[in-house]
Amino acid sequence: MRVSLFATCLGNEFYADACADAVRLLRHFGVEVDVPEGQTCCGQPAFNSGHQDEARRMARHTHQVFAESEYVVLPSGSCAGMMRSFYPELLGTDDASVRSLTTRTYELAQFLVQVLGVDAPGTGLSGRVVAYHHGCHALRELGVRDEPVALLRGCGAEVIAWEADEECCGFGGLFSAKLPEVSAAMADRKLDTLPTVDLLTSADGGCLMQLSGRATHRGVGPPIRHLASVLWEGVGS
Amino acid sequence: MSMAEGPEGGGSEDRPRPHHNDRAGARARILGKVRDAITKRRREPHPGHFGGWRDQAPEDPVEQFIRLFKAAGGEVCRFDLRESASEWVRNFIGDYATVSLGTIARREAQHGARAVRIEHTDPADAEVGVSMAYGAVAETGSLIMIPQDGRRAQLLPPVHVVWVEERTVFPMLIDAMAALAKELPSAVGLHSGPSKSADIGQILVKGVHGPGRLIAVLVDDKGVQW
Amino acid sequence: MSFTGPGRYREESAKMLRDKPEMRHSVTQATRTFDDHRTHAFGQVDGERWRDWARDVKTHLLSNLDIYLEQAEESLERNGAHVHWAETGADALAILEKIVEDNDVKRVVKAKSMLSEELAINAHLESLGVSVFETDLGEYIIQLLGEPPSHIVGPAIHRSLDDCRRLFHEHFGTPLDAEPDALAAAARIALRQEFLAADLGISGGNFLAADTGTVALIENEGNIRLSTSLPRIHVAFVGIEKLVPTLGDVAGFVQLTTRSATGQPIGNYVSLIQGPRREDEPDGPEEVHVVLVDNGRTNLLADDTAWEALRCVRCGACLNICPVYRQTGGHAYGWPYSGPIGAIIAPGLLGLEKAMPLPHASSLCGACVDVCPVRIPIPEILVHWRERAVEEGLVPLAETVGLKAYTAAAERPVVFGAAGAALRYAPLELGGRALPILSGWMQERSAPKPSPKSFMQLWKEGLE
Ligand code: SF4
Repeated sequence: MRVSLFATCLGNEFYADACADAVRLLRHFGVEVDVPEGQTCCGQPAFNSGHQDEARRMARHTHQVFAESEYVVLPSGSCAGMMRSFYPELLGTDDASVRSLTTRTYELAQFLVQVLGVDAPGTGLSGRVVAYHHGCHALRELGVRDEPVALLRGCGAEVIAWEADEECCGFGGLFSAKLPEVSAAMADRKLDTLPTVDLLTSADGGCLMQLSGRATHRGVGPPIRHLASVLWEGVGS
Repeated sequence: MSMAEGPEGGGSEDRPRPHHNDRAGARARILGKVRDAITKRRREPHPGHFGGWRDQAPEDPVEQFIRLFKAAGGEVCRFDLRESASEWVRNFIGDYATVSLGTIARREAQHGARAVRIEHTDPADAEVGVSMAYGAVAETGSLIMIPQDGRRAQLLPPVHVVWVEERTVFPMLIDAMAALAKELPSAVGLHSGPSKSADIGQILVKGVHGPGRLIAVLVDDKGVQW
Repeated sequence: MSFTGPGRYREESAKMLRDKPEMRHSVTQATRTFDDHRTHAFGQVDGERWRDWARDVKTHLLSNLDIYLEQAEESLERNGAHVHWAETGADALAILEKIVEDNDVKRVVKAKSMLSEELAINAHLESLGVSVFETDLGEYIIQLLGEPPSHIVGPAIHRSLDDCRRLFHEHFGTPLDAEPDALAAAARIALRQEFLAADLGISGGNFLAADTGTVALIENEGNIRLSTSLPRIHVAFVGIEKLVPTLGDVAGFVQLTTRSATGQPIGNYVSLIQGPRREDEPDGPEEVHVVLVDNGRTNLLADDTAWEALRCVRCGACLNICPVYRQTGGHAYGWPYSGPIGAIIAPGLLGLEKAMPLPHASSLCGACVDVCPVRIPIPEILVHWRERAVEEGLVPLAETVGLKAYTAAAERPVVFGAAGAALRYAPLELGGRALPILSGWMQERSAPKPSPKSFMQLWKEGLE
């Protein structure tokens, strides 16, 4: 089985180690990984802010880059959601190649559980108390709710109950720059309700950036790390 | 626009305000805009009756009415015999100095077979009101109040006692609507519990404007009307 | 205080967060409670099926709205009600003014109605020298405070018990530690006089059944029943989208709406109003007027994406779940309809330019779609308005230019990589000050640190 990793724009520049850990994880489970050179951005920032033409151009580009891939895996729920939910609308619902790309595209945890059938991958997180932030698009566009939590538990972590775990962190791409005060208040609600944990993790670079940016600004909160890195530690290799 | 700009309903006005009083014109323009907006779309079909679609086997309607009505803060007194129900009501209202009777109850109190003299007070000044329900709804735990019995007695006194016959408990709201639709009065009230509000600090209070106590006197009497 | 229009949303929301942090707390608490009740209530029924049904009825209604409007008018007139048509807000006020003048109306009681907020009826009546009392307890509280509503179901949820205690102390002399029951009793006494003295009662309409000409109203306090039963005249303002085909449909919608709004199986009072009192009825209004209001709704109807927003039953569920709404409550939105539904109907009712930036007041988290009882695709409509804003040049030039440059780079991987590499040499702290688009981010958060090497570099160097 061969997987093309799409690091995504944010992942490539800000979460390079997490992308590397995603490659390691996939290889650990016997998958051959390639990283197509031409990959850049899925187009979501433009799409969500109403710049349809630009979004379409980036979607077209991304479609070309991954057209031949057996699977496309992203360490980002929102970019995976963008590709699965909105590429047909942007590139044409009757394009079979586009439709097929959407069904071959997965968020990392979703891929590990749904395609590879991973359940108890290791013990590297034994004794660790972890909070999991559900990124909105992984949760609501992709319907990925149980997978990341199951994987963390499957590595021995205690995933703690958190009243705001399914609430938006306030990132929302350009939203966080256009309406920074409300966006920051949303992150505060997450941080203020967070129980005492060893670390906070999520599958989306944008959410991590928002939460850690705000936590650092206020000087509060536990270490915040990408799910791919936490799971790589969890498989205990 | 397909509507004729006819004069119908426009009426003559003493102080002309250019299109404000132009009823026919406004009507035609709104309908025209609606038609312009929807012509390019398909006229979609109606999905059919609302069915409730609860999977569980239907509860006994009377039991369900009682459960929901109580859950919403209502009180229920259930009687097998009409006589015992009447007696209970007489005793209950006997504790109050002023009683307002709905039209039907008033007629009964004056001319009924077992007439008892009850002084009727205007609902605005009464401590308790007594009304007859048209029926009840199991699905929602509601009493169906009709205006023939007098709306003020249903709303103004702080305590409201409602006589309802068990055979008039409809399983579903849609059944009640169908029955009512045959002869709709000017206004129907569905009363499903006492007046309440949580507008002050999200804390529940009762008896805000309407009655703070709502008591259903459920009578399982297959025979005569009260 | 009155509404200033959506244009100042950013400033108002920032001010709210800075100056009134306690409101954020009250709103979050109240909306979470509403949402818990909704979740519980929908768990008791076949909620998905209810929502499909409700969506389909409203879609049917809207795609046949011309027919149903005519039918509703005919039914109401048969019942003896007067039907009026208001193309604009000004028309609606003129219609009311005429009724007030013809009948020498001096005192008005009002049931809670969002449409009446949209039309700013109170201010107009007061300008005519008519005294008007809000009778819903929450609306009464904010009327005393001189504030507009902050939530379409719970207008005073931004106010705490202590706020109400102080307010009632000033107005009625109740003790400062009075319990809610005592406060409600004071309001009851004050408003009871108004109910009995009023010449005219105003309500909205949750639904209007076309077949029977029935205006349906849902509530818990009894103030709507009183406002529509006691005064000699009743005027109901009903948006043209509030129609449903039949009284049987009302049976479904009142349950759906209440479960969605407060989690009750039904409101403690539902009024089904056909017209003025009949001969065999001892009381009730002698005149009933129904004002059918467009005021921009046909603009929404004409929009191929946003028309779906007209299915809205104003249950408030999307506000309750909305993480953006929860931070500020409704005032920051600058007009009566706040939260997700407010953001998607504003461009239709006010015009896109006036509605900005509300279509951007969402992180597109999608929580609202999961709760909306009529399945309005809210994020899709938000993105649609954002697209229109780009087309009409209503977004900052820097954003458009920036995204075009970004897109051009994204199509050329080498350029894209080089631009990314530049991040490591020009730290975001600096760029953030220079670029307006980033300054907002930087003001509230620490700058994200670029990885020492991009993933592409790591990959090329070889990963083990
Ligand atoms: S948009 Fe949907 S959830 Fe929001 S108020 Fe309207 S009906 Fe309720």
